[in-house]
Amino acid sequence: MAERRVAVTGAGIVSPLGSSLEAFHAALCEARSGIGKLPAEIAGGSGVQVGARIDWTPTAFLKEAEAANLDRATQFALAAAAQAISAAGLDAASAGERAGVYWGSGLGGANTLEASYKQVYGAGEWRVRPLTVVMAMNNAAASNVAVKHGLRGPFANFATACSSSAMALGEAMRTIQAGRADAIVAGGSEALLAPGTLAAWQALRTLAPADASDPAASCKPFDKRRGGLVLGEGAAAFVLEDYARARARGAPILALLTGYGNSCDAAHMSRPDREGQVRAMREALAESQLAAGAIGYINAHGTATSVGDVVEAEAINAVFGHAAARLPVSSTKSLHGHLLGGAGALEFAAALLPLTRGWLPPTAFLEQPDPACGLRHVPLRAERVDPPRAVMSNSFAFGGSNVVLIAERA
Amino acid sequence: MDTLARIKALAGKEFSLDASALDPAAPLDKLGIDSLSFIEFMFKVEEEFGVSVSDEDLKGIKTLGDLERHVASALSAAGKA
Repeated sequence: MAERRVAVTGAGIVSPLGSSLEAFHAALCEARSGIGKLPAEIAGGSGVQVGARIDWTPTAFLKEAEAANLDRATQFALAAAAQAISAAGLDAASAGERAGVYWGSGLGGANTLEASYKQVYGAGEWRVRPLTVVMAMNNAAASNVAVKHGLRGPFANFATACSSSAMALGEAMRTIQAGRADAIVAGGSEALLAPGTLAAWQALRTLAPADASDPAASCKPFDKRRGGLVLGEGAAAFVLEDYARARARGAPILALLTGYGNSCDAAHMSRPDREGQVRAMREALAESQLAAGAIGYINAHGTATSVGDVVEAEAINAVFGHAAARLPVSSTKSLHGHLLGGAGALEFAAALLPLTRGWLPPTAFLEQPDPACGLRHVPLRAERVDPPRAVMSNSFAFGGSNVVLIAERA
Repeated sequence: MDTLARIKALAGKEFSLDASALDPAAPLDKLGIDSLSFIEFMFKVEEEFGVSVSDEDLKGIKTLGDLERHVASALSAAGKA
């Protein structure tokens, strides 16, 4: 029997660039930034100036009592998953034990945990909410998605920092290929814009300061002036499904997920390693059985750190050789910030834009490309293209985890 | 508002239920209130009334009526009612 192929049949987005796939893609096409100054109550004394926050009203989507018992990250996850399931027309209840949830999260319910610590250490009040544990645990978002939709099949939650949700998609693909599930809701979420967590990030000295003239332009991947990453929040979810089953039920097919590479640098906690990234890209290409020339766009990890962007550019050049000069690469983090555990899934959605709509999303604010990042950029504005055969999305995490996904035109 | 009315109002808000229709004699699970939700609810009841219900007493609470009796006796022990 031929190996089962995996289709993407639905997508859901909750992001600083809008809360649907269409709104997200439109913002990328318009190079509209979701980054701005953080309000004082969020930044606290952390010194973090900018972030990509969502103007979020949970009661538009959840009952007030329900929302009060769910961390912000879980609220995002539920909204994104509901969109994806609805778009796919997946009858989750009847899929039951053959449908599962694979999710990614960096810090789980960071706001919940921080609120409890604030009470304990800040107010000296040791009576914390009984739901603190189940709201804050890393798998809270994934488990709530499963409960909400009755998804009783394979379940997994990945916490590999910035590659978490890309890994969720890749592993979900393998699970469907192996025949262990027919459909999996795969994605990731993150919501950690809270004073204590921001202080920890600020201490790492990797965050960009606010751009003096335009805070929305604070994240400048591949630019000589880049000053670091900008943290964001949100969620992205996909319905991944056995291709034959999706065809048989007449589901909309956005793309095929055909390549997944996974490697570990095993070198350093925060400094990226070119060889680890190269191995992940090569593995994804090998699995997809595509020649490197079939890739028509790469959504880079591109966090806008001084070292990270150079290493990724070197890795892309090592894998694609001469073809890299004609291979469009962009980092959409310039617009939506870094969603950490949610980044891989959100950027997979960005990578679908050329495949499904024939637009290359840009690296916004890239006015002075760093010669050390020798790539065929998509600077400033989106570019119209014929939809390529395939696209790649890179997710390289603290801790050395590298995940690369390849999607092909349906 | 008497103690039971306040408890019913809190429960109505916490569980998105019609407070006036809550039967104080009905088992909590029949009201759709599971054990985890009830523990979170108890936290809010204790805040509302400024009382503390012991883990031992908590095990004996099967209905909103049981809860009312515990809260009322805690209030009277504390001289608040």
